[in-house]
Amino acid sequence: MIATQTITPRLERSYARLGVLLIAPTILVFSLVIVYPLLAAIYLSVFSIYTPTLEGNFVGAANYVKLLTGKAFWNSLGVTLIWTVGTLTLQIVFGVGMALLLHQNIWFRSLARSLVLFPYFLSTVVAVLVWRWLFNDLYGAMNHGLMQLGILDMPLDWLGSMPNAMIGVILVGAWKYFPFVVIAVLARLQTIPEHLYEAAKIDGAGPIARFWDVTLPQLRNVLVVIVLLRAIWDFKEFDLIYLLTGGGPVTSTQTLSLLVYQEAFGLNQMGQAAAYSVGMMLVMLVFMVVYIRKTGKEG
Amino acid sequence: MQRSMLQGVIVNLVTWTLVLLIAFPLLWMIITSVKPQTELFRIPPTWFPETITFEHYWRLLTETPFLTYFRNSVVLATTTTIFVVALGTLGAYSLVRFKYRGRETLAMLVLFTYLLPSVVLIIPLYLMMVAIGLSNTLVSLILAHTTFALPYALWLLRSFMEGVPEDLESAALVDGASRMGAFRDIILPQLLPGIISTALFTFILSWNEYLYALVLVNSDSVAPLTTGVMSMLISAFNIEWSLLMAASVMMSLPLIVVFAFLQSYLTSGFGAGGVKG
Amino acid sequence: MHSKPFKTPALPRRTVLAGLAAAGATAAMPMRLRAQEQITLRWWSPQSSPEQLAAYQTQIANFEAQHENIKVVFEKTSDEGYAPQLAAAFASGDVPNVVTHLPSFAVATYWTNGLLEPFNGVIDMIGPDKFYQGANDIYEIDPGQYAGTGIGNSAANMIWLRTDLMEQAGIDQNPRTWDELLSAVQKMQGGGIYGAPLPYGRNSMTSLVFIGVIHQAGGQVCAPDLSVNIDTDATRDALEFYRAMREFCPPGATNYSWGESLTAFVSGACATGLYTGRVLTNVANQNPSIADHITCDLYPTKSTDVAPWTFNDFPSVFIPKQAPNMEASKQFAAFLFDPEGYIQQLHAAPGHVLPVLKTISNDPDYQDNEIIQKYSAEVELMSEAAANGFNLGWESRDHMPNAKAGEIVNSGVIAELVQRVVLNDENVDQVLGETTARIEEIMAS
Repeated sequence: MIATQTITPRLERSYARLGVLLIAPTILVFSLVIVYPLLAAIYLSVFSIYTPTLEGNFVGAANYVKLLTGKAFWNSLGVTLIWTVGTLTLQIVFGVGMALLLHQNIWFRSLARSLVLFPYFLSTVVAVLVWRWLFNDLYGAMNHGLMQLGILDMPLDWLGSMPNAMIGVILVGAWKYFPFVVIAVLARLQTIPEHLYEAAKIDGAGPIARFWDVTLPQLRNVLVVIVLLRAIWDFKEFDLIYLLTGGGPVTSTQTLSLLVYQEAFGLNQMGQAAAYSVGMMLVMLVFMVVYIRKTGKEG
Repeated sequence: MQRSMLQGVIVNLVTWTLVLLIAFPLLWMIITSVKPQTELFRIPPTWFPETITFEHYWRLLTETPFLTYFRNSVVLATTTTIFVVALGTLGAYSLVRFKYRGRETLAMLVLFTYLLPSVVLIIPLYLMMVAIGLSNTLVSLILAHTTFALPYALWLLRSFMEGVPEDLESAALVDGASRMGAFRDIILPQLLPGIISTALFTFILSWNEYLYALVLVNSDSVAPLTTGVMSMLISAFNIEWSLLMAASVMMSLPLIVVFAFLQSYLTSGFGAGGVKG
Repeated sequence: MHSKPFKTPALPRRTVLAGLAAAGATAAMPMRLRAQEQITLRWWSPQSSPEQLAAYQTQIANFEAQHENIKVVFEKTSDEGYAPQLAAAFASGDVPNVVTHLPSFAVATYWTNGLLEPFNGVIDMIGPDKFYQGANDIYEIDPGQYAGTGIGNSAANMIWLRTDLMEQAGIDQNPRTWDELLSAVQKMQGGGIYGAPLPYGRNSMTSLVFIGVIHQAGGQVCAPDLSVNIDTDATRDALEFYRAMREFCPPGATNYSWGESLTAFVSGACATGLYTGRVLTNVANQNPSIADHITCDLYPTKSTDVAPWTFNDFPSVFIPKQAPNMEASKQFAAFLFDPEGYIQQLHAAPGHVLPVLKTISNDPDYQDNEIIQKYSAEVELMSEAAANGFNLGWESRDHMPNAKAGEIVNSGVIAELVQRVVLNDENVDQVLGETTARIEEIMAS
């Protein structure tokens, strides 16, 4: 046991000051550049604003009443939850799995790692265009390849009908973002001490047992954060779904982000859009608080 | 012995199959970008181009402001990454290793600012930039990108920081090092994989960001690749597919190369860490 | 000064965000210093393909050569980006001098909110009789005042036909009515070829095409006085027709938008197409083997009693009211129609962007282009059709301008109507009732 340095009250205080100093720049940047727009957005939600001119009048809680009583918000909330849970699960499972594989001694490992990260590197707009092209029924490679392999004999309508559309969106989302999980998990895997594995092996543990008893607990902290961050990000995801299906068929893939965008720039109702955003934020907040409490307790 | 060799081969094959499947769209993009326009929409599609041409790349480089956009993106993403990693690392250190009031609340607040969708933030942010005279400049984008990359970076680095054993730092302090000295000599090296991975994802975030660039910036001299290329090649009625594929390949390959280069930092185990394979 | 005054809450209409910005930062706002001589004009447009950019550079260079003290800067925006960008620009007062290529309903929106400078002076500078008959009526939103003018026309819903396939199927005339069209596509479908690439996805193409189909059934979305009039027999007929066409479209048509629909025809997979003159360039570049076998015509209507209805989004030119250097801005706007530069702009997308000036259509320099020469009959047809075209913002000569057209299209309510009735088989009466209610809500907002 290494002896810890005696900390005098004076030293304690000076450390505390240093701590605050270190986080001050971050807080400063935040207050300047994000707090104002944030407050402005919340402020907007009690007005009825016409987007092209940004003029409007005070309507109090009218936007929120519409949010609570109308179908749009709740329908979109349901869609968002299905999308988020679906794609997040796939991202985590594939992400961890791929990281474990890429942690092994593979041929041309650097190249493999770079290629796997490619979906994350690619701009969303381009990714969606390429996927739409691949999914196309006339000249798309997916249908063509599957037909050549004999799995299909007629082209499939990947994005235009349910449940294909939601499944397609979840899959493309998982493909696009799972490399984020891979990067973070790989980095953590590097620092797991070898002797833990050796000790387990000596105890007679097979590879699966070693994964559950050694790797997973070590990964726990990183995974908790990754799940939180990816969940927030997936919940807010706009570009991917908008470009892939436009929210269709009808509104079956219209998530909350799409609803906000449509309200703000399609229907030109900035105030209502702000109200939906605040609603969205509150939902995320509730989940976030519950999640942090739960994972904090177990830790 | 033989069994583990066979196992090794199977693992390799499985991994590479998955990798190729995942990277298939990239391969498709590359193949398409060297096809002449007449082969683009051949039915049934050709797996390998009948003729290979680099005319799209040439056109992109010589007839469009692509290189300007590229330069802007590099400046933007690099500056944002440096900012974010610097602020985030110090902030994470502060949140994990120091005790002061409101520590946890600060962490929560930072994440809280993150919950609003960008669509609603964008117009107030633009108005603010106009008001302080920064509209249509790269600086406004750097600020905007910093603010949405920072919460992510902070939380990620915080979790990596928590994985660094306290004993090492304490030992250094006992030996008489200052806190910042200990930070520099002991903690940073341990944190390196975490910093590299955070830097990487911040760079990508900034490199691929579209919405803020769309609204905050207009001129070609300042536009990054995302908006520059997209608005040039994609409009309501038409998409310039060949040029778009060539542009997309050129936008992605540098990232892949940079990452391959940074591999070694991500994988360097040191001290107590064990590198498997 | 570029900031809007900060009004007190007692007034019903006020500039909310300008108030925020003004309260917070007016003092810090930089003053624009301009030397007496040197003027800079800003030109915004969402259309900036490489060929168009080259044309713009020519126009800018020519203009600058004639006006030594003026510099013009082109700044690109995009179809998704222009709405928030202009919203922010109008609110902060930092507006461009000239904006081109936005659809006419955008112009109507900005005009009815008093944000645009009347364009009459510029039209006079160009020469009012050079325009096609009635080409500017859509911009006469308040009587006697023009909000802008068109910089190019597009006939967006022409029917494109494969003459070789028609010949094979024994069809000797372009279909004029729906019945003829249905029988034609049925005969031509087969052997890997589909009849038509109509869109059924939840996107703007479906909305815009279907608005056209409603008119081709003799119906309308709004009545001339702008009351909602979509719940009619004509609309029901239109839905039935659209449903009947479904089996002649590829399976993926349920998600088709502009890109897929265009490529379906250009790649040769569909016997008919529905698009602008963009088809001509794309066929020449991507599938020259069918270049000799394509032609276009006005889209069939329900019966010979119903006149054809061409959709034209009338890409516009306008000048924001708050723009500095108004005189120079107007001169530049007029100069955009100067033949040399204008023709080059048109040649950047031959057949797709059509001239609004008769004089240009007849200009031998304009006709001196491979595509325009090869398809001169088609281009002439499209130019006429487009000049007499309409869109949701202006559904007929008797209609008042509808400033909410953009919102109706963007809300997706028409595309949803199509999807719910044609794809999901929902009860027509109920869906039409709900659609009417939603459009009324949008009109009233």
